[in-house]
Amino acid sequence: MSTAGTTPPGKPQVKALNCPGCGAALAVRSFGSAVTIVCESCHSILDAKDPNLQILQRFKVATDEVRPLIPLGTRGKIRGTDYEVIGFERRTIHVDGLPYSWHEYVLFNPYKGFRYLTEYNGHWNDVSILKALPEEHPYGGRPSVRYLGETYKHFQTAQAGTSFVLGEFPWQVRVGEAAVVTDYVSPPRVLSSEKTGNEITWSMGEYITGKDIWKAFRLPGSPPDAVGIYENQPSPLSGEAKTIWVAFAGFLLLLVVMMIGFDMIARNEQVFTGAFRYDSNQRGEASFVTDEFDIRGHTSNVEVKTSTDVNNHWIYLNYALINEDTGTAFDFGREVSYYHGYDSDGSWTEGGQNDNVAVPSVPAGRYYLRVEPEGDPGYGVTYYTITVKRDVPQYSLYGLALLALLIPAVLLTWRLLSFEHLRWAESDHPPIKWGNDE
Amino acid sequence: MIRSLYMLYGAVVMSVLGMAQYQGWSMARVNEVKNVPRSIRDNPGAYRSVYSSYHHYTGGK
Repeated sequence: MSTAGTTPPGKPQVKALNCPGCGAALAVRSFGSAVTIVCESCHSILDAKDPNLQILQRFKVATDEVRPLIPLGTRGKIRGTDYEVIGFERRTIHVDGLPYSWHEYVLFNPYKGFRYLTEYNGHWNDVSILKALPEEHPYGGRPSVRYLGETYKHFQTAQAGTSFVLGEFPWQVRVGEAAVVTDYVSPPRVLSSEKTGNEITWSMGEYITGKDIWKAFRLPGSPPDAVGIYENQPSPLSGEAKTIWVAFAGFLLLLVVMMIGFDMIARNEQVFTGAFRYDSNQRGEASFVTDEFDIRGHTSNVEVKTSTDVNNHWIYLNYALINEDTGTAFDFGREVSYYHGYDSDGSWTEGGQNDNVAVPSVPAGRYYLRVEPEGDPGYGVTYYTITVKRDVPQYSLYGLALLALLIPAVLLTWRLLSFEHLRWAESDHPPIKWGNDE
Repeated sequence: MIRSLYMLYGAVVMSVLGMAQYQGWSMARVNEVKNVPRSIRDNPGAYRSVYSSYHHYTGGK
């Protein structure tokens, strides 16, 4: 046993030992709190509680073995407390014959004890051991647990094996040891139970970004990009979707208030009505003009209603609403057709005998209508009535506004559901099963 | 951020709706023609609407 060089007073000390397997110096950072130490040189797992550092296991390491992204001995601040990285392990599960590995880092603070970080494909979790047991709480027919008033849904159960270790551990770590790991999620948190023999350990992880880890440990460069969606990764839209639907409800209320308000202030004033007759058999000019009428108030719409007696027939009316003073004409054509009958599918109807059109933004003034009816030659006489109203509320505009407000909220919700779909696709409870072989 | 954008978007939609209702906008296809001669009152046949000779539906099921 030898001691390392001088350490500034007041700073945590690193105690140095030698590996009984290869003689290499071992840095001990956990002040006797560790149960096992792994020699970095010969990969012997040593009993840290034994004064002679008995070798518990030796394991072989591939030359391309993954090294910790946070080197052992690195210090950083997690939730306001300084921790040092003292251990690293890789654990692997097999799903459908394919291995999936993640990494765990053991952190130590002499006053606060141990804490852990896990990393999988760039997704990080800050993990601590639970001091109380969660309660089983079936939720929606799915196994769930409840802890501190929060429900965690079962995500996955798998057998995890330890495939690589480095540094110090507060338990008897072995390469090849297996545990049944069960995860329950309530993003951004995850509750994990690890069952080894009759012993079950519960821990809670909270999702943390690689960027925050890099900042906490002042690591050089940038963290690896997060790939895919992790089991407890918080959806960036979960809070937004709720607030947008609340805002949508507010706008809907405002829409109703506006509708009532405009209904109350609209003039909705009938300014002309007249009954007419069109004989399609009669030759000669069919067009005519109506009497003049006054359109009052601010610039607004003018609704022209045509009521006919067409029956399995049609009539087309060329309209021109002409301002007598300015000579401005609003030209439009309206077809009124009504067909009905009976066939093998039963009775049917098409069209209608009435038509409404709103001529937009008509200024006040003295107007008349030029009407030019057209019909099927040989049909005969069609009777029709024309009614003109000023400033009539247009409900279709409310429908358009409602649609415009609804589309972003629906799109956001769809994106949120897609995120959740991708999350649960990786679980033991995928939303859709794609056949027996998947 | 998204909420603020949506609030802004919603405010614009409601403002446009208010203006559309007040100004009497509609989706009807209407053609505005300037300087129509006064003689139309006496001779309606002298005016030809842009919608005359429009293709008419003559069907039914």
